[in-house]
Amino acid sequence: MCALINAYDVRQESEMLQPLDFNRRLRLKQVAKVFKAEISNVIRLTEMEKLFHLRIVDDTDRERFTFLPGQFVMVEVPGYGEVPISISSSTSNKGFIELCIRRAGTVTGALHRARRGAMVGIRGPFGTHFPLKRMKGRSVILVAGGLGLAPLRAPIFHVTENRSDFQDIHILYGTKSPEQLLFDYQYEAWRRIDDVNIQIIVEEPNEAWTGPVGMITKLLDDVKVDPSETFAIVCGPPVMFKFVCQRLSKMGIPMDRMFVSLERRMHCGMGKCCRCNVGSTYTCTDGPVFDYWSVINLKEAI
Amino acid sequence: MKHLKIEQKRPRIAVFDFTGCEGCELQLTNKEENLGAFLNAIEVVCFREASSDEGEDYDIALIDGAITRPDEIERLKAIRKQAKLLVAMGSCACFGGVNKLKNAYDLDEANREVYGDLPKETIPTMAVDEVVPVDLKLPGCPVSKDEIERVVQHLAWDLPLPSYAYPVCVQCKQRYTVCRFDVGELCLGPITRAGCNAPCPAGGLGCWGCRGPAEAPNYEEFFALAKEKGFSEEEINERLSFFGGFEDVLL
Amino acid sequence: MLFRILGKEKFRSLIEVILESNEIIAPKRVGSNASGEPIHQFLPIDAFDEMDLDYRTTEYSAKTYFLPYRENLCSFNLDDGDWQQEISYRIQPRAIIGLRAYDINALLKLDKVFIRNKFPSPYYVSRRENTFIVGLDHDPLEDEFSQSMGTDIVTHGFDLFLTDLGDRYFVAIASDRGFNLLNRVEVREVTDDDTNTYKEVRRRILAGFKTKINVHNLPNLLDLEFTSEVWEKWGKKCLSCGSCAMVCPTCYCYGVNEEVSMDFSKATRVKQLHSCNLLDFAEVAGGHNFRPDQQTRLKYRYYHQHRGFVEDYDEPKCVGCNRCGRVCLAGISPAAVIKDLYEENL
Repeated sequence: MCALINAYDVRQESEMLQPLDFNRRLRLKQVAKVFKAEISNVIRLTEMEKLFHLRIVDDTDRERFTFLPGQFVMVEVPGYGEVPISISSSTSNKGFIELCIRRAGTVTGALHRARRGAMVGIRGPFGTHFPLKRMKGRSVILVAGGLGLAPLRAPIFHVTENRSDFQDIHILYGTKSPEQLLFDYQYEAWRRIDDVNIQIIVEEPNEAWTGPVGMITKLLDDVKVDPSETFAIVCGPPVMFKFVCQRLSKMGIPMDRMFVSLERRMHCGMGKCCRCNVGSTYTCTDGPVFDYWSVINLKEAI
Repeated sequence: MKHLKIEQKRPRIAVFDFTGCEGCELQLTNKEENLGAFLNAIEVVCFREASSDEGEDYDIALIDGAITRPDEIERLKAIRKQAKLLVAMGSCACFGGVNKLKNAYDLDEANREVYGDLPKETIPTMAVDEVVPVDLKLPGCPVSKDEIERVVQHLAWDLPLPSYAYPVCVQCKQRYTVCRFDVGELCLGPITRAGCNAPCPAGGLGCWGCRGPAEAPNYEEFFALAKEKGFSEEEINERLSFFGGFEDVLL
Repeated sequence: MLFRILGKEKFRSLIEVILESNEIIAPKRVGSNASGEPIHQFLPIDAFDEMDLDYRTTEYSAKTYFLPYRENLCSFNLDDGDWQQEISYRIQPRAIIGLRAYDINALLKLDKVFIRNKFPSPYYVSRRENTFIVGLDHDPLEDEFSQSMGTDIVTHGFDLFLTDLGDRYFVAIASDRGFNLLNRVEVREVTDDDTNTYKEVRRRILAGFKTKINVHNLPNLLDLEFTSEVWEKWGKKCLSCGSCAMVCPTCYCYGVNEEVSMDFSKATRVKQLHSCNLLDFAEVAGGHNFRPDQQTRLKYRYYHQHRGFVEDYDEPKCVGCNRCGRVCLAGISPAAVIKDLYEENL
């Protein structure tokens, strides 16, 4: 079973030292700058969610824009305001970024009504990321509930595009009903990748549903991993990641090797406005990706 | 103009006056600097103070004034049938306003006092939502033109509706006003809904609560502190009942 | 640090020199309270005599000259499907006279958030760099606990800092522009006599602190007392009116929203200071509120002041000026709340 004290992995160092912020390379006067981006494509996912392709208009800015899986951007819809949205696309995708957006408020409502070709803006990327370099050579369990597949899609792309860097890969996804499943057209593509275990579960099946039924934790029953060689990424509502992480803990995976992504309302994205604070931790700069140990130490996170 | 390639809507609006001073209607034609743009964004179907049109084909009904006569009830019900969205505009429409002070007296006596030998048909004053369902309330005496503009922007472009959950104190502080309690006056600011930009305290008058209660006001503590500062229940009640917004919490 | 002695009549000339070309913000008497005591605020002055350096305190802090209650961050000119962003944060240089040591310490704390952070704020940097600060020592107020918070003295973050020695000021000089400005009027070197008088004044000030609060191990205590009934006791009183945060010299939480012109040709992104005590502070799209009740919000405020900020910047956010305690109509004061936490007074 897993060792009580895990060996410190020197490979962690390189990730810590890596400069990663697009914004930090900019001069002070550009902190508030919004990069104009065209909605180059809109893909309807469900009743409530659409996938937007955003293409930064300026060639230089587009070239320079890089992000890491788990980071988010502030999407500006002039006149309506800004919302934080996690990036759903692959980091190897250079021309545009993909954002999976649920219609929830004024800004996302305007985005859902906006047409292809409309000009919006982005600031960022902001926040912490899933430390995929630390996971290199290990097994990875990726678990998503509901809209949680949106932030999970970037790391899924990373592990599937760099398949040989990892041992076993398990992708587990659950929603309330089959109608709410996001990116259902992609499961087959992921399943066909060499040695990727992908399982989908719903709580309330319809007549056409033939897959498993139940809570997401049920899928973990069939997952066999070496806990000392396994990392987990869990995205979804707090009740969901709480149960999943407790379960993973029982399987022996250390809490600092499980990563979750938190969601809060943000007004600045830059560690200032305090609106996204959990306890007194900034979701925007200290997060949105936290290891589970940090999360259980945050007052009011779960 | 097709911002975000979204087709803009042009709400068809009608304005109706009931019992009140019509000051809220006047507010609609205030703020000359952008009145043209305001009127361009909407289609005025019926508005006695600004247009001779008396159309029936409206979606949005703005109601000014309280309900104090039986015929007003019928008229209001007819408007409700036609309107897709009914807006109570100003403190009279939202709470009954100062008209509601009448309810504390005998109706016949009040009638005689005001109209002498020519009594009018009258009933106890009601807020609009005591007669028909109201979709949106814009309290204030008078209503704020800024808030009306925000409503129009909401209808035309789906911009957010104005919402002020917090009390007047915030806006008072934001204009550097000295607290009225500090100078020994009563003020309903701590329990009254903000959004007015606190002109009364800035002008030296404690808040009279024309915008009604803020979201989840702490009445218990407010009454305790007001009494502790030497204000009597009568004084506090007089304030609370003035615009009708606090009639459920009178001491 | 360099020190000089400035005669009081020369100080008047100094102010007049600044007034020739710059705006000055200074404590100004704006009226009296119910018991006849003067009320002061930091406001622009046009002449030396408009300022009242004998002020005890101001109801509001001077933070709004660095973090305005309302500030336009940028605007978008909307033009038939396309738009252009305009960002502006230029301000005219100005001076603030008469800031207390705790107020300057408050600015140093804000500097950590808005300048020495991962994302510096150009809006704040612009205001901070363009403000000439003249501090002024003072005898402690009855209810002030700045000494407990370690903010009763200040060694940087200002241009000039004055200590009143009766007929003259003992001036600490912390910047070259302060030095240059001081040289526009006549100053002299510090003598042993001046130094002794200065030390005496400082001893008098130190002895004057009446309110002391225990903040030993407070960050851990706050975690331990997370579910304490002390929060209910004080939370029940909270009016959720945000006055404490508005007058606080370090509260910087804000909200951003956009305002659109009636003809939809221009959208302005507006930043407004908010308060964590206000009901909608932690409300998210869809209506869920992470802190729906008064006591949770009040607790959060103390958490940020005395725990969260310590975690991020190794010092509490509170400077002990007790403006929040004085402005609170419900009588909630940090000294009382923290005392209750220590003593578990319910």
